[in-house]
Amino acid sequence: MLFKDQVDFVRQHIKKNKLRVFMTVLAATMGCAFLIVLASIGFGIQDTMREEILQDQAITEVEVYPNENEELNLEEIKTVPYVGAIVQRTSMDIMTSFHLENRTIQGNLQLTDIKEEEQSNLKLSEGRLPQNESEIIVGYHFAQNLWTDAERAKVEEVGEEEDLPKGYEKSIIGKTVSLSLQPYDSEEAFPEQWDFKVVGVTDNPAKDWIVDQSILMDKSWLPELTGAYEANEEGIPEDFTYTTTKIYTSSLEHVKSVTKDLKDMGYNVYSVSEQLEQIDVFFMAFKIGLIFVGTIAILISSIGIFNTMTMAVTERTREIGVMKAIGASPKLIQRLFLMESAWIGIIGTVLAVVISYVVSYLANWLLPMVVGAALGEDGLEDLSITFSLIPWQLVVLASAISIGVAMISGWRPARKATKIDVIQALRQEL
Amino acid sequence: MIQVKQVNHTFLIGKKGKEKKVPVLKGLSFDVKQGEIVAIVGKSGSGKSTLLHTIAGFMSPEQGSITVNGQETANLNETERAAFRLNNFGFIFQNFQLMPGLTAFENVELPLKLKGISPKKRKASVGQMMDKVGLTEVGDHYPNELSGGQQQRVSIARALITNPPILFADEPTGSLDSETEQDILLLIQNLNKTLGVTFVMITHDEEVASIAHRTFKMRDGELVKEDVL
Ligand SMILES: Nc1ncnc2c1ncn2[C@@H]1O[C@H](COP(=O)(O)OP(=O)(O)O)[C@@H](O)[C@H]1O
Ligand SMILES: [Mg+2]
Repeated sequence: MLFKDQVDFVRQHIKKNKLRVFMTVLAATMGCAFLIVLASIGFGIQDTMREEILQDQAITEVEVYPNENEELNLEEIKTVPYVGAIVQRTSMDIMTSFHLENRTIQGNLQLTDIKEEEQSNLKLSEGRLPQNESEIIVGYHFAQNLWTDAERAKVEEVGEEEDLPKGYEKSIIGKTVSLSLQPYDSEEAFPEQWDFKVVGVTDNPAKDWIVDQSILMDKSWLPELTGAYEANEEGIPEDFTYTTTKIYTSSLEHVKSVTKDLKDMGYNVYSVSEQLEQIDVFFMAFKIGLIFVGTIAILISSIGIFNTMTMAVTERTREIGVMKAIGASPKLIQRLFLMESAWIGIIGTVLAVVISYVVSYLANWLLPMVVGAALGEDGLEDLSITFSLIPWQLVVLASAISIGVAMISGWRPARKATKIDVIQALRQEL
Repeated sequence: MIQVKQVNHTFLIGKKGKEKKVPVLKGLSFDVKQGEIVAIVGKSGSGKSTLLHTIAGFMSPEQGSITVNGQETANLNETERAAFRLNNFGFIFQNFQLMPGLTAFENVELPLKLKGISPKKRKASVGQMMDKVGLTEVGDHYPNELSGGQQQRVSIARALITNPPILFADEPTGSLDSETEQDILLLIQNLNKTLGVTFVMITHDEEVASIAHRTFKMRDGELVKEDVL
């Protein structure tokens, strides 16, 4: 029998029982749509969390720490594929105050290698990178936290977060600030002062709550600054300096491989890919759970397909007998019935996919509003929360499950059709 | 063309565990030659249909051998039997056994579809066949819109459409009035003459048997008499 004739044959039978087939398709649709929508929540929340992580951090950054009492072997690290800039920032265990006119700030002084910072694509909101040792870059919030003593006293007195003083409102670029050092346990600052010219301001941090009042200074100052400590105090304490090492790569994919390689070298590594991996593992389990629950819905709907097909076979016993008598092979009979149940599965799945996308779209549009209204906040709409996301892999998986289950549930009725005895069937009343 | 040798068959009837053995075919042997019309006559319950079912391959006899066109049919599997039927046999049933959802034309077309013939060729040969059996007018009628005689013509056309060498007919006129019966018998005789098709016909009606070249009489599962025209 030509394939086209087989399709015609199946279509004719479906037409004859439109309502029954429609109800069965409806059940299959509901089962499959339930699976897709349910699982899409897992995909959606995972996506939101990934986005959150990727947005908030320098995603191509890998932090690496040596084990206790060990040092990083930078030469070795440089041999790792995809390692770009290696930025080492060193801070000192001492209060570092910067002064401009009558204003001061306790900044977070970081001694670094400007060349490497440049290679790591350090972004500035203003100005340029330093070109010599007397030039520095300051954090985004440096100027607005440059307060006079009166302003600082007022903030400490009121303790209110609102109405913070505006700080230094003129452009900080090109201004000369002076640095003084003062140990945390001392009343007096060291007499030495150093002047620096501010040439750049770093980019606004991704997270609202980060206050960046750091100062990036060339690392060649380290001996002089520690020298000042030695001159004023007895000896340099252990752990006076603290160094963080960040490795930059060109893409997130490379972060993954660099993280792995460094771990294999025995270092302590921390990167986005680490975090993402943990999230992915968690959500893999979560999604499997959701798909499992959704599959149960499909299994329930498959009972309908089983019923419909069993009835179809019973109703057509005589016709099947005639077909067999005039020479239709059992294989053909089986195929015709399997095609019918597959058709139900396929139409049900196609409808389910369409419906799922609509539901998903509506959920992403309406839910933030509903939740926002319920919480009495209207800021929620601005947050780009994805509640439901349907990647093509989910569509493929759900379709495979749905159509597969439809065919499995049509299997027994189809087998039953092939077993029909010609003589008994022909004896049936018309 | 057909050789039947020492065919025996016993049915088990009654409840499980308390079955009774009913021998229905008892060592039957006969031959059918090419181009013949053979009638098997006998009272109801004498085993005629069962005999036909074994030859047609709807069931296997317990014992004995059946050879059709030199092919032993008893040891074919279900799929092979179906293919063998499609290529060698046509069937005419007492109650026509047409597909209610198909038109007369489509009913005749069905065996060609099973054989995988292209729609174009199908249309041509079905058209010719409808002509031959005198159904040109009612091609697009459904079976329930046709008279008994017309339905039997459709079923004859369906049986002949694949040009099988052998046609089986189980009480072909059993559901028809005597006038229509004559029409159908004439048609069978005519087709036998013009196409050379071999007919194996079952009937309990001596009148129907009169068109046969040879007649076998069955009683209680045995052949008791052979008449040659
Ligand atoms: N499937 C079956 N199971 C049990 N007995 C059967 C079956 N088919 C036929 N018989 C019995 O076999 C005998 C012959 O039946 P059948 O071949 O139909 O006779 P006929 O066609 O000559 O009227 C009858 O007694 C009938 O009851
Ligand atoms: Mg009979």
